[in-house]
Amino acid sequence: MIIKVNNLVKRYDDLIALDHFNLEVKEGEIFGLLGPNGSGKTTAINCILSLLKYDKGTIEVYGRPMAPDAYDIKRNIGIIMQNVAVFDELTVYENIDYFCGMYIKDKKKRRELVEEAIEFVELDSFRKFLPKKLSGGLLRRLNIACGIAHKPKLIILDEPTVAVDPQSRRKILEGIRKLNDDGATIVYTSHYMEEVEEICTRIAIMDKGKVIALGTKDELKGMINSGEKITVEILEHNPDILEGVRSLPNIVSAEFNDNMLVAKSRRGKNNLSALLEYLRSSQINVGRIYSEPPTLNDVFLEITGKELRDHA
Amino acid sequence: MQVYKALFKIIHKNLPQITIYIFSFLVVAVIMSNVGSNPANADFSETRVNIAFFSYDDSALSDGLESSLSNITNMIDIPDDREKLQDALFFREVEYIVRVPKGFAEDLMKGKDVKIEKIAVPGSVSEVYLDNVINKYINTAKMYISNMKGLSDKQLTDFVMKDLEQKAEVKLIRKVEEVSKSQKVGYHFNYMAYSLFAVLILGVSTVMLVFNKKDLRNRNLCSPITPKSMNTQLILGNLSYAVLAWLIMIMPSLFMFGSFMFTAKGMFFLINSLVFSLSALCISFLISILVKGPGAISAAANVISLGSSFISGVLVPQELLGSTVLRIGSFTPTYWYVKSNNIIAGMTELTLRNITPVLYNMLIVFGFAVASIAVALVVTKQKRTA
Ligand SMILES: Nc1ncnc2c1ncn2[C@@H]1O[C@H](COP(=O)(O)OP(=O)(O)O)[C@@H](O)[C@H]1O
Ligand SMILES: [Mg+2]
Repeated sequence: MIIKVNNLVKRYDDLIALDHFNLEVKEGEIFGLLGPNGSGKTTAINCILSLLKYDKGTIEVYGRPMAPDAYDIKRNIGIIMQNVAVFDELTVYENIDYFCGMYIKDKKKRRELVEEAIEFVELDSFRKFLPKKLSGGLLRRLNIACGIAHKPKLIILDEPTVAVDPQSRRKILEGIRKLNDDGATIVYTSHYMEEVEEICTRIAIMDKGKVIALGTKDELKGMINSGEKITVEILEHNPDILEGVRSLPNIVSAEFNDNMLVAKSRRGKNNLSALLEYLRSSQINVGRIYSEPPTLNDVFLEITGKELRDHA
Repeated sequence: MQVYKALFKIIHKNLPQITIYIFSFLVVAVIMSNVGSNPANADFSETRVNIAFFSYDDSALSDGLESSLSNITNMIDIPDDREKLQDALFFREVEYIVRVPKGFAEDLMKGKDVKIEKIAVPGSVSEVYLDNVINKYINTAKMYISNMKGLSDKQLTDFVMKDLEQKAEVKLIRKVEEVSKSQKVGYHFNYMAYSLFAVLILGVSTVMLVFNKKDLRNRNLCSPITPKSMNTQLILGNLSYAVLAWLIMIMPSLFMFGSFMFTAKGMFFLINSLVFSLSALCISFLISILVKGPGAISAAANVISLGSSFISGVLVPQELLGSTVLRIGSFTPTYWYVKSNNIIAGMTELTLRNITPVLYNMLIVFGFAVASIAVALVVTKQKRTA
């Protein structure tokens, strides 16, 4: 076990930021910590890094208790903070060299590693730039390069894609996969469920300082009652069919959205074919058909009764 | 040494702002040295100072003093009226006023302590010179009185006059030149307090503000660097910066005053300024903990360096400042630094007794350093637990 967190409790005065929070991260996985803003992701990460004192619980990293002076543990962690933490006065190259130098003393080796990191985040043409001159996406990539240059075995990324353009986001996600392929264990926090679904092998969904669900994305989706969402284009508009669709077994709801019939199903087999069978037998001509499996948002919605989506 | 290196890169980025203060110091130093140079170096007999002489003692000894002073000064005729004299001093109509009290000769011959009242424009070259002439006159008289019993007032005066004519002049002029030079060096070093303080506050605060930024601090705490190593590098970095700043600031003095800086007096000026630099460094460190942003830094640098300079006698001589101002000034190391510079500048001889107050002042300046660090530690501790 790379990280093991047991019953962690962290309070800020009256607010309980972490409420008996548990976490186990295994070697080689991309572990996702998914939760809305304020659910306690950063607090959990900062506790794991010994940046915050906590009220209760235990934290082990690499099988040893984590503490502010556990330098041999820290040496093997790469950290990408939610807030970009670089020196405004240092160039891209100097920044990466500074942070890499905290871990790697050998100058020659460090130069190679810094070069590799620059190449990795594709900042080669910006190496002499000051952070102020970088766009949001490039700045995030610099932040990542500073965290991973020393090739740590465990990499923790706290919302590395906030306020990032789609292209940089793509690059960042691909990069994380690649780091994982090269053998690093990844802990990835985000409030974007699409990202977490895309790259994480295991996911913990957080709300109000607690892990409310844990598993692979398929396991998570299997935990809930909702099944796929079926959307069918109805060529002749006929309000009567709603009644019929709703009476089908396993269909929870059915609505018209313009000429699109949107039906939500319960978890089960053959929901789509049953619906199509009904439409055909009612001699209703259909156009395009979509079927979407449940999302992590559905999982979150079903467990907490609220949306995970970022409406901001 | 990542932290140490980063520290200097941060300073490097802020160099333009820092250089302004070094440059302004250079300009002022050069201007001041040119303004002050002529009267001091010229042949002394050509630049006679205006003095006022009042004698309330009807004696040959008093007359003798008057005549020996009249040989080297212009005696101005003004009434002995407090207000008139103050005006005259202020407008430099006279630079020195001597008042011989009644019974001066008699007391002197009885071996009593005599006092000649004098008022002078503070810190002027002529003051030192004339003090010397008068002291010499009285001391010579005392010497004759104690060695030759029964001399009359007239005989005594003759002896003294003859004696002084022979040897005093040459030796005194040399001393006066020396004093006037060290006075100039003194001004130079006094003014340095302002720039040095500003440069240190700017540099140290800028650096510490960066390292104390919450996100960067946390990021640094994640890395396997011990707090001890971190702090050592920061202290070493700031110390190097202070010494470097000091070296740059004393450079002009080496060019302008040359070999003088390698005399004992010159050395004391240098040591005094180094001690002041270290004290200013520690105060800058305290300020860096208290200020919030870059804007506050330059404000603090200006207000504190300029303010302390003003109330401590850098811009206006300490003699001309009110006692309340000076009392406030004494709560800054600048005051004690300037005081030391003035003492060193005014010394005609370097003796342990002369230099003791300087050492004592240095100790006070050093005390400011210790106190600021102590306060800084308390403040950081409180911040951490808050
Ligand atoms: N320094 C702090 N003082 C008080 N409350 C805080 C502090 N930091 C975070 N919180 C609160 O703790 C909760 C969890 O915050 P955070 O861990 O930042 O969430 P996330 O990273 O998931 O967005 C939030 O309600 C936040 O307001
Ligand atoms: Mg967060």
